[in-house]
Amino acid sequence: MVNQQVALDSLFHALADPTRRAVVSRLLKGAAPVKQLSEPFKMGLPAFLKHLSVLEGSGLIRTEKQGRVRTCRVDAERLAAAEGWLSQQRAIWQGRTDRLADFVESQTSPEKTG
Amino acid sequence: MTNDTTLTISRLIAAPPSAVWNAWSVPENLAKWWIPAPIECEVVTLDLRPGGGFVTRMREAGAADFQPHVDGCFLEAIPEQKLVFTTVLAEGWQPAEPWLALTAILTFEARDGGTLYSARVLHKTPEDSAKHDEMGFYEGWGTAIGQLAGLVEPRG
Repeated sequence: MVNQQVALDSLFHALADPTRRAVVSRLLKGAAPVKQLSEPFKMGLPAFLKHLSVLEGSGLIRTEKQGRVRTCRVDAERLAAAEGWLSQQRAIWQGRTDRLADFVESQTSPEKTG
Repeated sequence: MTNDTTLTISRLIAAPPSAVWNAWSVPENLAKWWIPAPIECEVVTLDLRPGGGFVTRMREAGAADFQPHVDGCFLEAIPEQKLVFTTVLAEGWQPAEPWLALTAILTFEARDGGTLYSARVLHKTPEDSAKHDEMGFYEGWGTAIGQLAGLVEPRG
């Protein structure tokens, strides 16, 4: 359950970057090799690969190597999960509220009020 | 999917409002609960006054760098009573284009020796979000609410 919350945060984190959103947007039109994906972006390949690894880590995209070409594709299920954004937000705030209560209650023992 | 874009979450906390406020207003305390472990939270700016910045960053286990998390602006801050921030503005009322636009209204009410803590979180409508999002992210994708049920850590 905690892991699922982490997964949510990593999903939103993955989508919080314009380059990464553009990559996902491009992949919605179909799978593409890394080299072709990186072309529109004004950044070095290492920086671009870092973005891809964040996307892959969040489960939003999957990559597959055939010979010397690595192809990326969107994981539609994961993206559909991200689309349930309001329920995701609820989960995030609910988790936050629970952790806040735990934190405060663990700080305040009955014998030292205030 | 509901069309209502406001979330309300309340919880009775067994500690006075001053203690709950303290968990919110001291950066090292906030960092302990704002993001679930094992993701690390860094509180960069916590300027509790109207127009004051609210910036937190996150670092996943094993990652070298902290990444953006929340970058917002406080709209209201009444110690031990109320806190309002938005991601639509950054520090000093600077307009921003956040990935997720929200306004959070947090209230701390003394109740039965404890605190009734409530978070009301306002969002744009999915249609509005789609307009602003280069991905048209909310169009044409089925929802997956079922798999998101039961995300909450169960505790009394």
